[in-house]
Amino acid sequence: MSLSHAEWVDALRDGDLLGVRCPDCGTVYGTPFAVCNECGSRDVEMTELPTAGEVYTETTVEVSPVGFDAPYQVGIVQLDGARVTGRLTGEVGIGDRVVLDGVLEANDEVAPVFTAE
Amino acid sequence: MTRASVVGADMTTFGVHERTLTELFATAALGAYDDAGVGPDDIDALYFGNAMGGQTENDTHLAPAVAAQIGLAGIPCQRFEDACATSSNAFKNAVEAVEAGVHDTVLVGGVERCTPETGLGTGEMTRIFASASDRYYEQPTGLTFPGVFALHTKRHMHEYGTTEEQLAHVAVKNHANGTRNPNAHFGKEITVEDVLDSPVVADPFRLMDCCPFSDGASAVVVTSDENADSFDNPVDVGGVGHATDIVPLSAKPVVQATQAARDAASQAYEQAETSADEMDFAEVHDCFTGAEVMASEAIGFFEDGEGGPAAAEGRTAIDGDRPINPSGGLKAKGHPIGATGTGQIVELTEHLRNNAGERQIDGAERAVAHNLGGDAATTVVTVMEARE
Repeated sequence: MSLSHAEWVDALRDGDLLGVRCPDCGTVYGTPFAVCNECGSRDVEMTELPTAGEVYTETTVEVSPVGFDAPYQVGIVQLDGARVTGRLTGEVGIGDRVVLDGVLEANDEVAPVFTAE
Repeated sequence: MTRASVVGADMTTFGVHERTLTELFATAALGAYDDAGVGPDDIDALYFGNAMGGQTENDTHLAPAVAAQIGLAGIPCQRFEDACATSSNAFKNAVEAVEAGVHDTVLVGGVERCTPETGLGTGEMTRIFASASDRYYEQPTGLTFPGVFALHTKRHMHEYGTTEEQLAHVAVKNHANGTRNPNAHFGKEITVEDVLDSPVVADPFRLMDCCPFSDGASAVVVTSDENADSFDNPVDVGGVGHATDIVPLSAKPVVQATQAARDAASQAYEQAETSADEMDFAEVHDCFTGAEVMASEAIGFFEDGEGGPAAAEGRTAIDGDRPINPSGGLKAKGHPIGATGTGQIVELTEHLRNNAGERQIDGAERAVAHNLGGDAATTVVTVMEARE
């Protein structure tokens, strides 16, 4: 594996966003994959993603699962060629610029938090 | 072309049930036996769907448990889990087995309980439903299932100008259809204002944009094309498409396209040597109003971006030119996860037998069912045809 979940989490806690890039077709993903889903290459490489980007889509969750306190905003952020799902703050909408601003620790897992740039 | 035929179909009401999973499934299964005029000795295998019994009721290894209730001990029985597409995938595998001659006649169906009859409240059930989103790259954000489809739908609204009012029309239409379906969870007319005044669950979805938590079961008897002639009322399966999209949602190139549905629909139409234009109606997976709009485009009923206006203009009503969800859909008929896929097959079967009562699509000869799982990454699309 070119990027493990543990490495992705460790980097996120250090303020870095990691993804994988396929050297054969150029596709970039914001989460680890062992094989490129576009071209089937197994040569995917770990790559560092920009920490600033644009909101691709978002929603404000008003009814939460146990363990979370609604309301909160969740969105997918476009970071050059890759996208990552995270928490959003700062009342942003689709197309707004956002920047990585820490992490949310929840139930022993971690999620990126983006805020208005 | 006929791949297999449905010769018996039944379902419980979708709603709130005190009966256990095995009792509920037995009710639908015995109804399907009776509808087909068969007994356990005529069934060669069970293809069974249940998505969440392990999480909701600490109840797993259910295939033999339900089989034993309905006299099927001894034959091969298997359970499928593909989130909300659970029993349509069981159906696909059953059709393939019959078509390949592995079995002559099989029972297919599913069951689920999602209401507080399980002993679980909304927060706990919301957590269990969210288990079908990505464990490491979505669940830690607190994303819910209404949230998943809200992310799809907000992008659709951004791209095409789809409005909350157009989404509300989907709910209004499906509730109206539900009043005509004696098996529906909800049987009450609502207005666009009712939808827009209901509390927000995950914007743009309000409570009345969302399907309910339901309990229920459905079952069908599937046999080979050759065997079907010896039954009273066969309905043919022309095609079953099944496609898988990349997860998590963030990796999908065009989130609102629901690409797996497009791929599965193309496969199903091609197998059946037909097209979307030939379909007299569709049952689609409207877990949320926005999901119906996206599905109506993905199965080819409308051009991309036209699904919202079409719903608002009444084109998808029972008397519209492209009827969708005459059953009331998941929105009003209800959504007992593992029972939903074969529940759609039951609905198609009834219309194609001209036996759907007040909600009958006049003269229906061909129809399509669209059942998705998870963030739409699993989608199964089935084309059925009245037997000549």
